[in-house]
Amino acid sequence: MRALGGWLARRAENVLVLMLGAMFAVFILQIVFRYLLNLPIGWTHEISVILWLWIVLFGAAFVTRESDEIRFDILYGAAGPRARRIMAVITATAMVVLYTLSLPAMADYVTFMKVERTAYLKLPFNWVYAIYLAFAVAAIIRYLWLGWQALRGTAPEAFDPTKAGSGV
Amino acid sequence: MTSPFSLCILAIVSLSLLGLPIGHAMIAGSIFYLLLAGQDLSIAAEQLLNGMYTNYVILAVPLFILAAELMNIGSMTERLLRFCDALVGRFRGGLAQVNIVQSVIFAGMSGSAIADAAGTGRMMQAMMTKDGKYPASFAAALTAVSSVIGPIIPPSIPMVLYALVSDASIGFLFLAGVVPGLLMAGVQMGIVGYAAKARNFPVELPIPMRELPGITWRALPALLMPVVLLGGIYGGATTPTEAAAVAAAYALAISVLLYRSVTLGNFYASLAYSARTTASIGMLIAGALVFNYVVTIENIPDSLKILLSGWNLSPLGFLLLVNVVLLVLGCLLEGTAILLIVVPVLIPTAKALGIDMVHFGVIVVVNIMLGLITPPYGLLLFIMNNITGVPLRDIVRECMPFLAAMVAALALITLSPGLVLWLPRLMGYPG
Repeated sequence: MRALGGWLARRAENVLVLMLGAMFAVFILQIVFRYLLNLPIGWTHEISVILWLWIVLFGAAFVTRESDEIRFDILYGAAGPRARRIMAVITATAMVVLYTLSLPAMADYVTFMKVERTAYLKLPFNWVYAIYLAFAVAAIIRYLWLGWQALRGTAPEAFDPTKAGSGV
Repeated sequence: MTSPFSLCILAIVSLSLLGLPIGHAMIAGSIFYLLLAGQDLSIAAEQLLNGMYTNYVILAVPLFILAAELMNIGSMTERLLRFCDALVGRFRGGLAQVNIVQSVIFAGMSGSAIADAAGTGRMMQAMMTKDGKYPASFAAALTAVSSVIGPIIPPSIPMVLYALVSDASIGFLFLAGVVPGLLMAGVQMGIVGYAAKARNFPVELPIPMRELPGITWRALPALLMPVVLLGGIYGGATTPTEAAAVAAAYALAISVLLYRSVTLGNFYASLAYSARTTASIGMLIAGALVFNYVVTIENIPDSLKILLSGWNLSPLGFLLLVNVVLLVLGCLLEGTAILLIVVPVLIPTAKALGIDMVHFGVIVVVNIMLGLITPPYGLLLFIMNNITGVPLRDIVRECMPFLAAMVAALALITLSPGLVLWLPRLMGYPG
């Protein structure tokens, strides 16, 4: 189980890296086409925006760990393992309840977007936006797991701000 | 105080305080608001997805992160340090001056203070503390303080985020950062010069002048990077977003072809790190997009505008107030969060008072940068503590004189829009 989880996590990271690599390549292609060959192309713009959306939501769902995320740690950082467990149970409950309650409406919205298509590649928007549903479901499962862990007695890891990915 | 909006704020603040990542807290809090206000819950997804899809400028963020990572794996940093050593190493406190000059040059290539500190911090610390030349706490503090220059001088990730929330032009924002960035560097060099005399810091063995051309030549590809990057933007050849991609490609090309210092392994590692960072900032942007919808629906920026106009604040009074608020928030909150959550609320008031949006942006970014070195929550302090093992308290103590001087410089930047806008106006900024 643990081995399979680790394997999946590494593959998810591979996919994320491929997406960023592709976004980088598409940008270079766009610049080459527009400025060197004088052939402006629009689809590169579209692919890079879709990739950006997917990198963020796919990454947040399947790759980043809790410790990678930007948090406010004045209280959390000072709390002991016991207090952190209680905090984790509260936040996990709020997350699971609110994300689950909103899931049907979100699914309706994403399905409804099949009526619109992207400008160049004519991709139906429900495909492009489907990543949100994967993200929401992954978040619900993750917080169920974290809440369950905290209830069973494993305190969540302490926050390390130097690991959080802040771009400033 | 039981309106849906106040409950939403309460939920976001308490969830964040309880340790939920801020992006998730904002999305969850906004869903809570929609639930209480009886609105369609799907609005949250709509705002998030459409906002991420249509704001093309944000794509510069992942690309600038990638560019900085690629520079750090190449040996570009080492060559730059050698070049700076040849320039200013011969003065008293020379290595400390090298640290600052190196940051200025690095600032012209990278848009992130964190990347600057992480990229050069270890090497700089080793050089400065070798044979006990400088106290370890001073060296660590100086690297933290000089990294602050990075996002003030273009390119700059915080400026891209500011452009996202304010619609100011990235090109002119970048130009407006140049003079304030150099001012910050000048102020820091002054303090180092004074400390060097007072504390009798060592003088480096001067590198003979005849070696300078060779050293410059070896550092040249790195030194040309700002020219490529900014020349592309201001020559009109590339958009700022494309320039970020060019910067990453340039860093990759010279690291692979010229310096031959890149392996497939560390290329993958840079992509993976950049992608993770992108996902984590992206979550904050996503949360802010949803939450800003709630803020707009509730007319908060306008209410603030009306409230503040009741105080009869002059533009200058407002700016000073903004400085105080942002500096205090900077002690407690992460910079990206301040930029994406607090700053949008202030912008309508600033506009109504006739404050120039580019000038305002520079003030905001400098404030956010100072927030990185103000305790208790100062990200650069944590990073240097992590890299060097010097206790936080000692780093903070050594930062204080620099911080005081930089706040004075911030006051000057706030008081004189002419100083900030001089370069943009020279390049045709109409404001």
